[in-house]
Amino acid sequence: MTTDAVRNAWYPVGLLSGLSVDGEDSLLLGEKITVFGSDDGTPRVESCGHILPVVQRFGHLWTSLGAPDKDLFTIPEADHPDRTLVDVGVVRVKCSPLRAVENFLDVAHFPFVHTDILGAETHPEVRDYKVEIRDEVDEVWATKVEFFQPQAAKSAGGGITTEYMYRVPAPTCSVLYKTCPPRPGEWDVIALFVQPLAEDLCDVWPWMALFDDESSMTDLIHFQQLIFLQDRSILENQIPKKLPLDPAMETPTRADLTSVAYRRWLKRHSYTYGAQLVAE
Amino acid sequence: MAADTDARWVPIAVSADILNGTVVPAQMPKGPIAVWRAASGHLYANGDRCPHRGMRLSHGFVRGETLSCIYHGWRFGTDGVCQKIPAHPAVEPPKTINCGPVSVTEVNGVVWGAAASPVDPPVQFAGYNALRSLLISASVEAISSACHGETVEGVITAQLGGQGTILLTNVHGPDEALVIALLPTATSAQDRVKVSTALEALRRTAEGIGDAA
Repeated sequence: MTTDAVRNAWYPVGLLSGLSVDGEDSLLLGEKITVFGSDDGTPRVESCGHILPVVQRFGHLWTSLGAPDKDLFTIPEADHPDRTLVDVGVVRVKCSPLRAVENFLDVAHFPFVHTDILGAETHPEVRDYKVEIRDEVDEVWATKVEFFQPQAAKSAGGGITTEYMYRVPAPTCSVLYKTCPPRPGEWDVIALFVQPLAEDLCDVWPWMALFDDESSMTDLIHFQQLIFLQDRSILENQIPKKLPLDPAMETPTRADLTSVAYRRWLKRHSYTYGAQLVAE
Repeated sequence: MAADTDARWVPIAVSADILNGTVVPAQMPKGPIAVWRAASGHLYANGDRCPHRGMRLSHGFVRGETLSCIYHGWRFGTDGVCQKIPAHPAVEPPKTINCGPVSVTEVNGVVWGAAASPVDPPVQFAGYNALRSLLISASVEAISSACHGETVEGVITAQLGGQGTILLTNVHGPDEALVIALLPTATSAQDRVKVSTALEALRRTAEGIGDAA
C-alpha cells in the first residue's frame, strides 16, 4: 500500500559510478522512472516527464516520488579517510523490500545460511542484546549484539566473537557496525540500501566502508556478493511474500527483538509498502 | 465439505525419489507441503512453512528422525512439534509451535498425502509400481485426450510406448497437474524407457507445443 510515508521516503536508484548519460529505465514503487547520468556531476531522475528530487550519497544516487520532509540520513563513521568504500553493485530479489531489510537485521540465521563464514552450527546461541526506537532521531537501534563467527570478514584470520550494532535510519535501509578485525576499537560499516521496484520485488544495493588494506576490491565485492546470494535463497522462499505486520502470523523469540521493533516502527509510520497487515 | 477433501488421499510423489535423510516439496489441494524421509526410512510430511519466519521447510535438512528449517535451524519432530530453537539452546520450545503435520502413506511405490487421516487406505493397483512423475502444464482432460486415455476419478488408463499404463493425477491448478505413471512390475527396463519417452511426448502434446496427435 502506498502511503505518504512511502512516497516521501528516499530510495537508492543506482551507483553514481554506473549511471548512463542516455538514461536507464527502472521502477520505483511500481512506477516507471528513468535515471540519467551526466558529464558535469548532475545526474537526474525523471518520472512521467517530471524531474524528481535527487541526492548523491554513499556512492549511490537517491530519489523520491514525493516531497521528502527530511534529508537523507548520514553515516558519519563512514567519512574516515582510511576507509575503503566498496560499491558492491546490485542484486535483484523476488521478495518484499521489507523482508530484505529484516533479514539483514538478523544474526540468528548466520550458522545455517552463512555456515562456517558468518556463523557456525556449533555456536548458534544469540545472547540478550539491547533494542530501542530512538525517538530523538526516529531510528531503530540494536546494540551489544554478540555472535561467534568463524570468518567475520575478508580480513578476519579465524573465529572470533564479533560485536554488532544495527541501525534502521529509513524504512528500506539498514546500516550495521561490526567489530573490525585489523583495527580493534573501530567499527566496519556495512549498509543495505533497498530500492522497492514492487511490493514483492526489489533491487538491493549493498555498500561497505571498511578498514582493510589487504584485500583487493574484487575480493571484497565477491565476499559480500557470496553472503547476499546466500540470503537471496531464503528471501525468495518465505511465505507470505509480504512482511506480515500481524503478530499472529509468525513466531518471534528474544533473538528477533530487532525485527519486532522494526515492524512496530513501520506500523507507527504507516509504512506499509511490501507489508501484509492482516492474515490473508 | 472441507472434511471430504481433507480426508481424501492425493498422490504427491514417487517413493524412490525421496531418499533417506532428504526433504522435497509437494503440492496438496490446500497448499504446499514438505515431504521428508527420516534416517530410519519412515516418511513424514508437514506444511511447507516454518512458523517462525515463513521459510519453506522443503529447503531444510533432515537429521535422524527430525526436520530442521534452513533459515534458523528450528527443529521439528515426526509429530510436527518444534523440539529445538538453536538461538536459545536453554529454552524448551512451547508445544504449541508446530508446522502442521500431514498424513502420508506409500502404496505401489507412490507417496500419498491427506490433510486429515482417511479411514481407508489409498486405491491400490495390484501388480503395478511407480515409473516416474512429471509436471504437465495442462488440465487432466487435456492430458487424457492427448493420450486417448480413459479417465475415472482422476486416474487415466492409456497405452503409452506400447504398454498399458496407469496415470495418477494431482491437480495443482486449472492448467497444471502432477502425473505419476505406473507400470506392471514385470515391465522390462527397455520398455520402461520407451514409456518414459512417450510420457515426455505426451506432455508436449498436452501443452500444445508439438507432436500433435
